[in-house]
Amino acid sequence: MEVHDSKLREPLILGDKSLHDITEDVCRPIESKPNRMWWIAFIISACGLLWWIISDSYTIGTGLGRWGLNKTVGWAWDITNFVWWVGIGHAGTLISAILLLFRQKWRLSINRAAEAMTIFAVICAATFIISHMGRPWLVYWPIPLPNQFGSLWVNFNSPLVWDVFAISTYFSVSLVFWYSGLIPDFAAVRDRATTKGRKFWYGLLSFGWVGSAKNWQRFEEVSLVLAGVSTPLVLSVHTIVSMDFATSVIPGWHTTIFPPYFVAGAIFSGFAMVQTLLIITRKVLSLEDYITIYHIDMMNRVILITGSIVGIAYITEFFIAWYSGVEYESYAFLNRMTGPYWWAYWSMMTCNVITPQLFWSSKIRTSLAATFIISIFVNIGMWFERFVIIVTSLHRDYLPSSWTMYSPTWVEVGIFIGSIGLFFTLFLLFAKFFPVIAFSELKTIVKSNNLLQKRGGQHHE
Amino acid sequence: MGNNKKYWKGLADLNNDPDFIKSAQNEFAEELPINFLGKDSRAEGSTPRRDFLKFLGFSVTAASLAACETPVRKVIPYVIKPEDITPGIPNWYATSYYDGHDYASILVKNRDGRPIKIEGNKNSTVTRGGTSARVQAAVLSLYDSARISGPIAKGSPSSWSTADKDIAAGLASGGNIRLLTSTIISPSSMKAIQEFTAKYPTAKHVVYDAISYSGMLDANKASFGKRVIPTYNFEKASIIVSLGADFLANWISPIEHAAQYAVTRKLGAGKKDMSRHIQIETNLTVTGSNADLRIPAKPSEIGQAAVSLLAAVGGGVSAKSLPFDDKLKTVAKELLENKGKAIVVCGSNDVNVQILVNSINQALGSYGTTINIDKPNYLKQGNDADVVALVNEMKSGNVQTLIMHQVNPSYTLPAALGFDEALKKVKLKVSFADRADETASQCDYICPDHHILESWGDAMPVEGSYSLIQPVIFPLFNTRSAEESLLKWSGNDTDYQSYVKKNWQDGIFAQKGAGSSFNDFWSKCLFDGVIDTDGKAVAASVAPVAAEVNADSKKTESSAADASIAAAPAPVANAQDLNAVASNIPKAGNGYELSLYEKTGLGNGVQANNPWLQELPDPISKVTWDNYITMNPRDMREKGYNLMERADRNATLVDVTANGITLALPVYPSPGQAIGTIGIALGYGRTKAGKAANEVGQNVYPITSVVNNTFSYVSSAALSDAKGEFLIAATQTHHTMMGRTVVHETTLDAYQKDAKAGNHTEKFKLQLGQHHTEHTATELDLWATEKYPGHDKPIHFWGMAIDLNACIGCGACVISCNAENNVPVVGKAEVAMARDMHWIRIDRYFSSDADPKEGSHEGKNYTEMENPSDYPQVVFQPVMCMHCNHAPCETVCPVAATMHSSDGLNQMAYNRCVGTRYCANNCPYKVRRFNWFKYSDNAEFDFNMNDDLGKMVLNPDVVVRSRGVMEKCSMCVQRIQEGKLNAKKDGRKIVDGEIQTACAQACPTNAITFGDYNDKESQLSKLNEDERMYHLLEEINTQPSVLYLTKVRNAEETATDGVAAASKQHA
Amino acid sequence: MSKLIFGIFSDEDVLLHNIRPLKQNGVKITNVYTPYPVHGLDKVLGLKRTRISICAFIYGITGMCLALLMMWYMMISDWPMDVGGKPNFSFYKNLPAFIPVTFESTVLCTAHGMVITFFLRSKILPGVTAFVPDKRMTDDKFVVQVELTDLSKEAEVTAMLMQHGATEVKEYGK
Repeated sequence: MEVHDSKLREPLILGDKSLHDITEDVCRPIESKPNRMWWIAFIISACGLLWWIISDSYTIGTGLGRWGLNKTVGWAWDITNFVWWVGIGHAGTLISAILLLFRQKWRLSINRAAEAMTIFAVICAATFIISHMGRPWLVYWPIPLPNQFGSLWVNFNSPLVWDVFAISTYFSVSLVFWYSGLIPDFAAVRDRATTKGRKFWYGLLSFGWVGSAKNWQRFEEVSLVLAGVSTPLVLSVHTIVSMDFATSVIPGWHTTIFPPYFVAGAIFSGFAMVQTLLIITRKVLSLEDYITIYHIDMMNRVILITGSIVGIAYITEFFIAWYSGVEYESYAFLNRMTGPYWWAYWSMMTCNVITPQLFWSSKIRTSLAATFIISIFVNIGMWFERFVIIVTSLHRDYLPSSWTMYSPTWVEVGIFIGSIGLFFTLFLLFAKFFPVIAFSELKTIVKSNNLLQKRGGQHHE
Repeated sequence: MGNNKKYWKGLADLNNDPDFIKSAQNEFAEELPINFLGKDSRAEGSTPRRDFLKFLGFSVTAASLAACETPVRKVIPYVIKPEDITPGIPNWYATSYYDGHDYASILVKNRDGRPIKIEGNKNSTVTRGGTSARVQAAVLSLYDSARISGPIAKGSPSSWSTADKDIAAGLASGGNIRLLTSTIISPSSMKAIQEFTAKYPTAKHVVYDAISYSGMLDANKASFGKRVIPTYNFEKASIIVSLGADFLANWISPIEHAAQYAVTRKLGAGKKDMSRHIQIETNLTVTGSNADLRIPAKPSEIGQAAVSLLAAVGGGVSAKSLPFDDKLKTVAKELLENKGKAIVVCGSNDVNVQILVNSINQALGSYGTTINIDKPNYLKQGNDADVVALVNEMKSGNVQTLIMHQVNPSYTLPAALGFDEALKKVKLKVSFADRADETASQCDYICPDHHILESWGDAMPVEGSYSLIQPVIFPLFNTRSAEESLLKWSGNDTDYQSYVKKNWQDGIFAQKGAGSSFNDFWSKCLFDGVIDTDGKAVAASVAPVAAEVNADSKKTESSAADASIAAAPAPVANAQDLNAVASNIPKAGNGYELSLYEKTGLGNGVQANNPWLQELPDPISKVTWDNYITMNPRDMREKGYNLMERADRNATLVDVTANGITLALPVYPSPGQAIGTIGIALGYGRTKAGKAANEVGQNVYPITSVVNNTFSYVSSAALSDAKGEFLIAATQTHHTMMGRTVVHETTLDAYQKDAKAGNHTEKFKLQLGQHHTEHTATELDLWATEKYPGHDKPIHFWGMAIDLNACIGCGACVISCNAENNVPVVGKAEVAMARDMHWIRIDRYFSSDADPKEGSHEGKNYTEMENPSDYPQVVFQPVMCMHCNHAPCETVCPVAATMHSSDGLNQMAYNRCVGTRYCANNCPYKVRRFNWFKYSDNAEFDFNMNDDLGKMVLNPDVVVRSRGVMEKCSMCVQRIQEGKLNAKKDGRKIVDGEIQTACAQACPTNAITFGDYNDKESQLSKLNEDERMYHLLEEINTQPSVLYLTKVRNAEETATDGVAAASKQHA
Repeated sequence: MSKLIFGIFSDEDVLLHNIRPLKQNGVKITNVYTPYPVHGLDKVLGLKRTRISICAFIYGITGMCLALLMMWYMMISDWPMDVGGKPNFSFYKNLPAFIPVTFESTVLCTAHGMVITFFLRSKILPGVTAFVPDKRMTDDKFVVQVELTDLSKEAEVTAMLMQHGATEVKEYGK
């Protein structure tokens, strides 16, 4: 019966793939040597990673003064990058959790990669939490552990402590979600393994999965419940991140609209990053049949919607700032537009509000090149959003006597570029050694999909 | 039957087994199982496994135990403890500070033998317990590693004996001997010098002040026949007119003046009237920025202004017309209305101008009321003519020996005089300098004098007010007091301590010591630090004045003796001469008029190597670590120089040429600077002062010139076009209040009508169903916390009050705080990154033309508001941690490193801090400071904390913060603790005022009051009730413990417009 | 004395439709291995509904209580401090600040508790050697595991499997 109601639906997998073809296609990268493109990408990312290591060790070795921060602007690129990475992470969980709850089958080709992206993004974010601290070697102090200070506890009023819980929960739960999904695929790789090494490693990774009926039953239940808890989790994480600002007194931070606005922004940037990654991945790993224009299109629609939400949030902020009649608040927002950092504000506006509107046209929505470019724009724009919120609010707050400017040093730039290197290094390793598509789950739709394709074929006759 | 029971041990005993009997004789019946270290096996010379393990175990444990041992730390290594030093308990010594430029009677806090803090001596009638930034910083100058450690002969270290031998020989060899010193205010020193000059008849004493007041002295000579500076009593004045005299920060005796001035400015329950202060000046000075009416004028115009004023008050001189005549008219009118309650001072070093000012004061009847010529102030006695003569003498080779004390002529003299060449012609050059400075390095012998905190001595800054100088530390180096050297060379071997003592015994004791043994008298004087002798020096023998002046005072002895305070002083020259005098006033040259000035931090440059002072932001420009050309933004626009708007730190570098000397200096926009004039600070550009001072800024002393026999600090100057950029390190880069009510202001009239004028706190509407109520932010509280245990302050509730009317912005509090709390010096580069570490800062705001006028509802032009007026009004606002009771910083700290104490302090636990800087971001006052680097023991920050000697100034009660932690004002919690403990020991309550924070203590105007809100009688509680009381940013309900008192100006609201008008006339 | 034989199917529908008939014919199907979750399989096999979600709920409640208890102890009971004038001396007034951590802890315990339970119950753990009757069972084949109690019936059962759509029938390891 699936066949009948899926008349109108686009096929999710192109080419008449048998179950075996799918296994073959997905396992090929794992079993074959990486191609030149992979190596080029990997070397570039590895260089980035190296720069990250150098800049970070230099900072931790000599002091935070290596950055451009000052007495008035205590956070800048560090927290900007943190929020940016966390935001990017959100798309993964969203795709795998929320789309699962909505029974969106098209998620199946992309959720694995997206979840991987989530995990790596959160790792990058975490590095900034550590490196932005004055004394990073005490990073465990914000965790409520009994300690030598007569059990001096943490301050649960502080949004930073909420962050500690949110980020660690988010990371570990996403990891578990991701890994439990990986197990059957590892098992598949294990069973086709020809070399000793692969037999051993994937045997280890697959936890001895055999795919008995009971396992699958529990497996599906677990995925469902995990999706159920991950959905509020992913929403809570950026809500809490936004509270770092919303609960403060700084004009431009002290805003109740932040939680929904940040979550929308997170999904927005996350999907953009997924686009960036998958458009490359499908090419490099030749998975065009699995990650189709249809997927790209679908994600572009999400970007369009969330982009518009973000745009509305920006406008609302301004209205409230003016309507509240609070001197400091209204100036903070005026300063964003016309102050010394006007360029940051306007690049944010262009990238986040204007560019996504292009997706109203299905031509652009379904064009790989356009999508790729716009996704990059959105990533840049969302970075600027955080920069604008953090720096332009801080650099001119209450007492004009303390107003300053901020500009980054090469170390900060290094750490940011480097973190991107770290991210892509991890992602490329994932693409090489892990099944980038959750093919065990994908197989559930193959039959209906192929029938659908056949019918589509008949139509054309 | 007797008890013959036999208890046998086992069968063996029962049947007397021979083995048993044998073994029973041993202590132990059997071989004990002792096999430790294998008794038997050792005999066989082999070590079985178990023994090896025993050895191993033992040695490993031993080794690890040894490793655990903590390294030995040296504590105070007293073999026999001096009974007056208790480790951890500070000793206080009363002494005086004088470096040839600044004087203050001080108390020195001595911890474990080290002086660590200077505070004002409340007993002094001169400085009244006030201090200045320079005096506060002196304690660090003591630990200056650039000081030389012993006598130096011909550039190489030598011994006192050889130095004495050679110098004595040199002196004996005849020829003219010249003694060039700064003003000497010490009777004993003067006596020693007189002994010296008596011993060597060819010797002559020349007095030279780097920043000269010769013109004034000469003028007084002309007017009153006494070459002295009178004492000024601003306290008695209800109108103060200053012609370019920066009397609050630098002029003659600033600490004294500031204290008097503050009395007339403070308002309160009892006192609803204040003095009126009018300043006519070129550069915007600290004094000028406190004025009610400030008239910017070119240096040449200031002289003319004096003429006009004199004419207007009936001096019978003909005045030229000036751009601001209309204002001068009103000023004159006000002066005449306040005859006998007026005071006119002038900063010019031109004798003619000063004569005119004398006549003005004469006409206003100031002498005997606000000015007392019969009670001279001895702080400035330099005679420029003598100095010029001396240099010429030296040039002609007629000077055999030149001995210099507390002077640095090759740094401070006009280049035109050619001192260095002249010096080469002198056979024997001796300097008492404490370092091989610009002059000393050219001398044959450097006989280093003690630092003032190491020396014995006395001082008479003002006629009849004596103060003692006693050492508070054993000399750090092999130094000797200059006086002792002089005495030695004049054949008197008494050590200077007993010399001073003897001198006092003969002099002051003879008069004041009636009915007590000298020793009691002496120790009382040492304890008090000061003693007054009814307004007159006790005997001419110890009047600390140069011979010539001495003669004068002797001459006028008779007249002065019978002249009581109120008597009319000597007659003034008549009007005819005055016109002549007026015609001799220096004329304006072409180009910009340059006026050299003295900075609050560096003064005349003698303490230039003091990093605290280098990093002290200039009260007006807020710039550290540099001098620069101050120029009105309007002029800068015309010249196309960078106006440094929007926190731009790059100033335009230009060449300034004056008196044939060209220097490359950055131009810094300075609103208030008279149009067509520029200013440059003296005291910078040292080359041989030490690592902190060398090559910082440019030395502009060479630009000075000799005009009418006095050194002139004004001249005409030419400015080149931009030559490049120059990084300026300012602690404040935004200068206007942006129409925010950060500083509450009002005028005296308004205040007299309504004491709450300018201070009406914002009310918020609260709609509850039908009826709505109005509340202040403080009343609206989410939790009404005070009701909960732990939030109420049961015993103490510390707080501070800052009177914006009394604060003159001098910065003494900043340095005092640095010294008390081990605030690190971070250097120019870091300050330019906006990373200054000062716990207390003084915000300085300029008014802007675009500022919203009261009551007007036109939209605000924020971009315009960023630019100050050309001639703005200025306000100062000290800001330190507000110790908010709803502290935003506390809430956000993840590790609870900052939280609230039960006595209302916002506490900071450094060793708990992980350095997220969230607290600093969330602080609305931006008073938190982060340790971006390790500022101690770090070659990158080579200041006093990277220097074993410099570290001796550190306060052991305050931890030196490590890298990566946040720090901020603690309200001197260590002092609060000390005060609590003292009270506890005596089993009493803490007396109000017993505990003083460093800033409050240092303030010369008592603008800062520390106290306990819970003590209803405390000064603070009273100020808390004052109508002028307000909290900074009250509307965000942080509920600060620091309160401010509204600033009141004795001016019409139109003052700014008036100034603006004046500026138009200039344009 | 019993032995296991395996029927290999290559289509999920064929599998689903033939499990019941096979069982009716007395074939003792002890397990079915599939490369992906085949919906409805648990029904035809008559597997009970898993109770893992109930565990998840219990874990969640536990996490929530632990978090609240922890924060009450640390902030209110053990060391109450005046932090920014917040009511750290009364639990319920300070509760709003505790919501985020409570929520996160709930999720944390739910997710991890459940997954760990899942792994333990299904013996999915690192180092477990998988029981793989046919290598293609994780690729494209569906393996029905039949327990033979009466070895004499082997041929009969094999035939039955073949006739009910199995492509082949094999024994373990062969």
